[in-house]
Amino acid sequence: MNTIFQQIPIEHYITLSAILFCIGVLGVLTRRNAIVLFMSVELMLNSVNLLLVAFSMFHANPAGQILVFFIMAVAAAEVAIGLAIIVMIYRNLKTIDIAELSKLKH
Amino acid sequence: MNVLLTLSIAATLALFFGVLRLKNLATPVIVIGLLASLVFNAMEWNNTTSIFNDMMLYNNFTVAFASVGLFITLILVLFYSELSAKHEFHLPEILAIMLFGTVGGIVLLSFRNMVMLFLGIEILSLSYYVLAGIRKQNVYSNEASLKYFLMGAFSSGFLLMGIALIYGVTASLNLNEIAGYVNNAKGIVPPYFLVGVLLILSALLFKVAAAPFHFWTPDVYDGAPTLITALMSSVGKLYSFGAFVLLFNSCFIPLIADWEVILWIAALLSMSVGNITALYQKSVKRMLAYSSIAHAGYMLLALVGINNLTSGSVLFYALAYALASVVSFVVLYIVRDKKGSYDIASFNGLAQKNRMLAVVFTISMLSLTGIPLTAGFFGKFYIFNSALQSGYYWLTAFAVINSFIGAYYYLKPVVAMFASKSDEEITMPALSNSLLILLGILIILIGALPGFISGVI
Amino acid sequence: MNSDLSSYFPIALQFILAAGFVGLTMFVTHVVGPNLRTRKKLKPFESGINPSGNARQPFAIKYFLTAILFVLFDVEVIFLYPWAINYRELGVYGILTMVIFLGLLLSGFFYIIRKGALDWDQ
Repeated sequence: MNTIFQQIPIEHYITLSAILFCIGVLGVLTRRNAIVLFMSVELMLNSVNLLLVAFSMFHANPAGQILVFFIMAVAAAEVAIGLAIIVMIYRNLKTIDIAELSKLKH
Repeated sequence: MNVLLTLSIAATLALFFGVLRLKNLATPVIVIGLLASLVFNAMEWNNTTSIFNDMMLYNNFTVAFASVGLFITLILVLFYSELSAKHEFHLPEILAIMLFGTVGGIVLLSFRNMVMLFLGIEILSLSYYVLAGIRKQNVYSNEASLKYFLMGAFSSGFLLMGIALIYGVTASLNLNEIAGYVNNAKGIVPPYFLVGVLLILSALLFKVAAAPFHFWTPDVYDGAPTLITALMSSVGKLYSFGAFVLLFNSCFIPLIADWEVILWIAALLSMSVGNITALYQKSVKRMLAYSSIAHAGYMLLALVGINNLTSGSVLFYALAYALASVVSFVVLYIVRDKKGSYDIASFNGLAQKNRMLAVVFTISMLSLTGIPLTAGFFGKFYIFNSALQSGYYWLTAFAVINSFIGAYYYLKPVVAMFASKSDEEITMPALSNSLLILLGILIILIGALPGFISGVI
Repeated sequence: MNSDLSSYFPIALQFILAAGFVGLTMFVTHVVGPNLRTRKKLKPFESGINPSGNARQPFAIKYFLTAILFVLFDVEVIFLYPWAINYRELGVYGILTMVIFLGLLLSGFFYIIRKGALDWDQ
């Protein structure tokens, strides 16, 4: 069955994912709040998910969608660990601004 | 497969002993688990098994790399439970997470599918993020953990984008099918595929701490607890390089013209940045952190002109580096425990107070420099040999010059140990003492009889 | 194009019905109900307790902990979807695998309970 998703050319999906990915990368490179950095990383992962699902539809091959499941599960584990680290830092330093985390440079 | 199961079960059991007021049982379970998995691992020799419909393949390459990884992990577990136990409330958890990291590492040494590559890297890295921040009250440890985590997650994004683009071109995540596609394409692949390879390459360069992507390394290695740094720099590097060799050896050799330039630039930069910055460090820990970047550069040298010598020389170098780095970090931990500082000055007069420590530390530094009759010399020898076979003469010459620069800073703490005087006594617990002697003997033995290891794969 | 779009008609109908129901209910209560404005009624509703203080204050760290644990256990459920779809094909093997998977998840739950991560009063 030819669904509406397959009528959208694959290039559009690639472009959208690339744009989302670049927004994520720029977010990581320019922001200073650890939580926002973290959200940018999640945006990168989700753009990849979108691309994988699009390719999976395009090739009619389910492997890509399985990888998406794993990415989602691992991203949840990453969220858990990341938030735990951020909470730990906030308890000690009362800030999550990564620019102030430069004790090791000296 | 038995190895992975044994490790996971031992780690889970240790976690439960930790919460069920049976903490004393946790360390024995971990040690027994590691010993059992070493045996199971050895039993897989010459017995290639495919696991889960080609998701993983356990072959001799895996066995050789995994036995080094398991052995070094075992040594570090023993050191950790003896030296650090008195400071540590969460010992069962820490040892269990070390084992979970090893599980990720062994997945990285046996994957045949991009899904397993991703899972292996994540299991390994997530364990290390937690271990780096295990001193919850220590600001340095916190900072190391957050930096490692953010940068690691960032690089995972690149890895996944690379995998997705390759999947888009080949419609498969299986390494054999991707390799088949590349072979059929005869060196001409769509640009998407090349972008994918480059993204995966940069993510892996990040994981092995090579130069353009090395910026996290000094801070993380410096901030993490010293014995954890030993783990990350020795086995962490071994697993990542294993995955690197496995992936590029099996899939991307026909495209070598497209990625070797990037790889030799990375090797060149890693060696020079690592060695030159290490020259200016006052803290021995930070110096060793920069030197680990330089060692990643040497190991990349074997990958630049990838040939049939590559995996053997990478294995030998990783083993030599792991032994020397474990010894140097453990001695550093003991010295810092007494003197309260990582400075080179803390090593003053160590030779007078504890001759054994000084001798073993000297052996490890000589091995890191690459002096003949130590394991490090043959590590460098095989790597350079592999690069020369592929015709990289001037890159090898550059690496040799770099090893001479390395000699200068490696010998600084050694000179401090033997030249100055000190009054403080340094005593060692019995087990750690004998383990250090064992490691020192191993470094010399492998340096004297390199044929044992080099002929393996 | 139309034939493909028509397969989405039931979903569109569902959306229209849902939105229509909400809109209709709000409209009817607005018209039918008595419109009394007293001080008590205009206060924010806090389940019957008198509201106190500013709502934008940092909350306790234990909410974070519970939230983190919730995210973990919540997302693992996605592995049930592919199994549920192929339930018949996978048969007993699938059930056993899933029992092992859920058993491990449950042992993790047991671990955090023993660890005291869900102890609210601590």
